[in-house]
Amino acid sequence: MTTSRQLTRPKALAGLGLVGFVLLLGLVGPLLAPYGPLEQIEGANLVGPSPSHWLGTDEVNRDVLSRTLSGIRLDLLVVFVAVPVGAAIGVLTGLLTAWWNVADVLTQRIFDVVLAFPTLIFAIALSAFIGPGVWTIAIVIVALEIPVFGRLVRTSVRTVREMPYVEAAQVAGAGPLWVLRRHVLPNSLEPLTVQLAVSMSVAVFIEAAMSFLGIGVQAPNPSLGSLIKDGTTLMYDAPFLALGPLALVLVLVLGLLLISQSLSEAHRD
Amino acid sequence: MLSYLVRRIPSAVGVLFAASFLIFLMLRLIPGDPVDALAGQDATQESRDAIRADLGLDKPFWSQYVSWLGGLFRLDLGQSYRIGGDVGDLLRNGALNTVVLTVAALLIALVLALVTSLVAVIRDSRWLNAALNAVNTIGLALPTFASGLLLVLVFAVVFPLLPSGGTPPEGYLARPDISVQYLLLPAFCLALPVWAGLSRFLTEALRSQLRQPYITTARAAGVSRTRLVVRHALPNALPSAVTVLGIQVGTLLGGAVLVEQIFTWPGLGSLIELAISGRDYPVVQVLLLLSVAVFVVTQLLTDVLQAWLDPRIRIGGAR
Repeated sequence: MTTSRQLTRPKALAGLGLVGFVLLLGLVGPLLAPYGPLEQIEGANLVGPSPSHWLGTDEVNRDVLSRTLSGIRLDLLVVFVAVPVGAAIGVLTGLLTAWWNVADVLTQRIFDVVLAFPTLIFAIALSAFIGPGVWTIAIVIVALEIPVFGRLVRTSVRTVREMPYVEAAQVAGAGPLWVLRRHVLPNSLEPLTVQLAVSMSVAVFIEAAMSFLGIGVQAPNPSLGSLIKDGTTLMYDAPFLALGPLALVLVLVLGLLLISQSLSEAHRD
Repeated sequence: MLSYLVRRIPSAVGVLFAASFLIFLMLRLIPGDPVDALAGQDATQESRDAIRADLGLDKPFWSQYVSWLGGLFRLDLGQSYRIGGDVGDLLRNGALNTVVLTVAALLIALVLALVTSLVAVIRDSRWLNAALNAVNTIGLALPTFASGLLLVLVFAVVFPLLPSGGTPPEGYLARPDISVQYLLLPAFCLALPVWAGLSRFLTEALRSQLRQPYITTARAAGVSRTRLVVRHALPNALPSAVTVLGIQVGTLLGGAVLVEQIFTWPGLGSLIELAISGRDYPVVQVLLLLSVAVFVVTQLLTDVLQAWLDPRIRIGGAR
């Protein structure tokens, strides 16, 4: 079954709809936002949700809806740029090194070491190294996805290269690059798309967790994670602050999970 | 069994050594000098040099690395720069709390996952499946800190049933009933994603076992559905579920960083944050290495447990 047909299943459509909704909000939202993300509104201190401030205002009189709409963009950057970049580098590394034994052993050992660090601890250590910030989040995600995708592709290279038709192609004079492009890559496409969706949902978690721990997005700039963090510090006085960004994180991750599940279900059937 | 374990040890040790070197190198390359932080701004050159010599930071890189590794083997982890005291003592205090938390979380996750997936497969009712699937997906989609905050909000603020954070004031054993109250929320929060991942996988594995011919045979012989699932499908589904569990246990320490932050639980996760922000190298490097070691050992145990559960791997040897 092709990927495009898998994506028309009801479950996948629901997932695509949820992700598309967040994507649209992130792209168009800031243009429609009633206030600037850093704009302070006179006399609106910790106002609850109301027609003029849908998600209320925070402790320094900023409109939370406007901040949320602009904060989505950072998560979109992480999900749709950092993850694909890491995935692309990982796939290339996996493809090119898996064919030659020495390079394969070497890269796999490096991947082993990187993957042996728990993600969040790896992120904390790296942020000590390069300082907190948006770039740190991006680098953590790219560094994490390279071994994940590298290893996935490596497995298919190793399986496919033993196939009789690959041997036949080689006898007919096909070089390694041709085999990798024509036989290995198409064969590993399905697990790769599933992993891509899973990795994207993990990336949302990583952004949120890093910003929550104070090593991601720095004040006063908004991201979904930093907005949730801001909301939680005032959880007892203004429990409404974190709800909007939290709901968006849920919608985004849920959408990505539904897509990955339906892709892997179709793959299995 | 033993030879199976022995065969897997060299690569595990290799990963640990490589990680120890990487950690040590990385911390030495971090911009910012721990001496600056310790000596203050108006320190004289002499006092700065004295501090540097005292910490052994004036020696060449390799000699520092070798003496650190040597210390690790003698279980002498060195002195903390900023937090104060022996690194070994700091670690022991934090480790107890983190181990209690993660073990409790693991137990909760395991029991819940077994119960929910067995019930789902045995009953096989449409509504139950849909409900479990929904709860499961939410468990996967909810970031740890978000579920933690919701738990605090519901069970400590709106309905003040349980403490919102902290460890039991009189230790874990003095009053077990109070300890359970303190543990319940953080452990459940940490367990949630593990349960969600594991039960989804186990349910799927059980269902695919039920489609196998040997199940049809057993069913034809009149075996009840409960017995079919528990005695026939479960033993065959467990080995692969153990792998999934192993991967998740390896990441528990990362999750513990968040959970300990939310529930002000003074464990290793809080310690690593404190140490990194204070540039306390001796503490940071040991904690990083420890987290890698936990992961590597878990992987080893997973392989062994899998071999024990699945004779094909045990006898067939290396995969």
